[in-house]
Amino acid sequence: MTSGDFEARNQDRWLEYEKLVDQLEKGKSGPHAEEMPKRFRELCLDLSLAESRMYGPQVTERLNHLVIRGYEVIYRTRRGSWEKVVSFVAVEFPRIVRKEWRLFWLCSIVFWVPFFVVMFSAGHDMRWVQAILGAEGMSSMEQMYGGKEEQISHLRSEYGSNFAMFCFYIKNNVSIDFSTFAGGILGGLGTLFYLIFNGLFMGAAAGYVNHACNPESFWTFVVGHSSLELIGMIISGMAGMRVGLAILNPGRLTRVQALVLKTKESLPLIYGAALMTTMAAVVEGFWSAQPLPSSVKYSVGGVGWLLLICYFLFAGRRMKDAAR
Amino acid sequence: MEETVKLDTLQQVELAEGMEIRLRIAGPMLRAVAYGIDLLIRFAVVAVAAICLGIAGIAMGNLVTAGLWMLLWFLMDWFYPVLFEVSRRGATPGKRAMGLRVVQETGSPITWGQAIIRNFMRAVDSAPFFMYGFGMVSCLASKRFQRLGDLAAGTVVIYQRIPAPPRMVAPPPINAIPVPLKLTADEVRALGLFRERAGLWSDGRRAEIADQASALSGATGQLGVARLMAMAHWLQEKRRGA
Repeated sequence: MTSGDFEARNQDRWLEYEKLVDQLEKGKSGPHAEEMPKRFRELCLDLSLAESRMYGPQVTERLNHLVIRGYEVIYRTRRGSWEKVVSFVAVEFPRIVRKEWRLFWLCSIVFWVPFFVVMFSAGHDMRWVQAILGAEGMSSMEQMYGGKEEQISHLRSEYGSNFAMFCFYIKNNVSIDFSTFAGGILGGLGTLFYLIFNGLFMGAAAGYVNHACNPESFWTFVVGHSSLELIGMIISGMAGMRVGLAILNPGRLTRVQALVLKTKESLPLIYGAALMTTMAAVVEGFWSAQPLPSSVKYSVGGVGWLLLICYFLFAGRRMKDAAR
Repeated sequence: MEETVKLDTLQQVELAEGMEIRLRIAGPMLRAVAYGIDLLIRFAVVAVAAICLGIAGIAMGNLVTAGLWMLLWFLMDWFYPVLFEVSRRGATPGKRAMGLRVVQETGSPITWGQAIIRNFMRAVDSAPFFMYGFGMVSCLASKRFQRLGDLAAGTVVIYQRIPAPPRMVAPPPINAIPVPLKLTADEVRALGLFRERAGLWSDGRRAEIADQASALSGATGQLGVARLMAMAHWLQEKRRGA
């Protein structure tokens, strides 16, 4: 059989197949949709025949393209569902955080050590803190926390400012989470940079406020959202370190294989971190600046920390047997 | 075979069906242009939104619309490529304009997770200073032009469609001469390619090439060319009952 014969004999079938692929690519399922796998296998066979008989590039390129299109239609991924989201929050996320407890402590230490060192250094020598914050940082700290506790709620008195701040925190803090995660691909260096930088900066802010402003107004403001925001940030660091360690210590896999595998495994961590940081932005935008007594804010913040710790310690434990 | 595969941007991928398909990997230059187009689109969207929200701000309150604008900016920064690449087309508008798409290394469409990984890693690939230094080095150092995000996600950027090699059948075959010998598959292929590309060459070059097969055609020069063309025609033409 010549290539001309081959084309003439199968032309109709190929055209029908192409029509079917066109239709499925547009997302419509017609009367012949269930024939797709069969027709796809036929096309695969045609392509191998054309290749092994060397019918030339004109025929094989056409078939190759048709096979690729069919392959993409058949192997299109399915969309997630709400059930998945619920089971992610209730089971999968706390479980993976528990499973990666080593990374949790690693990232916690990387963040908290610079935080506390800088914060307490303010008591002995303010120059470190001043160097980190800079003139602009210090003046904005004074603007927010320099006076009475009500100062922040006054700053937020204009209509819509709570919402605007909520959006700003999303843009700023979730972006930092994502960058912390991405930095992991540099062998974890980018992740460590963001964690240490955040530790230093937040420590400096806290230290400066403790000694130069009104600490009460600062701590009552941050206590509400601190649990979600800080743990979320640390978890995004875990995701980044998971990626970075895959490159540094690939085990028995090649580095690229380990990278692909571990990055995929780290996805739940970054999803969860983004979710937590978004929730922190809600609290920070709509609750933290409310003019309420300090005792109320401290108790709500404390309960928040307690609930979060309980969530990571206990959520999803009973489901262990059910899921397996 | 190994050596030629390594040098080529054409990648053979074996499917579960036992089939091999070929993917043409796209290089950094074309992708940079695609990225430029996307950047312009993103900029235009954010700019238009700024104007619209600015006007809406009179009614809704300036701070509310400023917040919405920041939210849009955030989404454009991180999720614009993600949403387009998991869509049916598998490409951002810029990539589509350049005839590119993103697929898994196996040729199948990418998943949500992969789209998120490859585009979040952009934060590192685009460093330093959005010059795509890391991405470029990784692209040039990897076999399949993969930037770091592609390596981590296991994705490649390919041409939507592999352009067929240029084909000019000339001079048109007058008759068909049966091939006197039994040819190997490679020889059949060589004859077919000779016929399909003959129109790209001058008469002299055509004769020069045909002279290499004078043992088959039994002639040299223009006559040899005509005979080879006729044999190729005989091999490829449509024959009932063959």
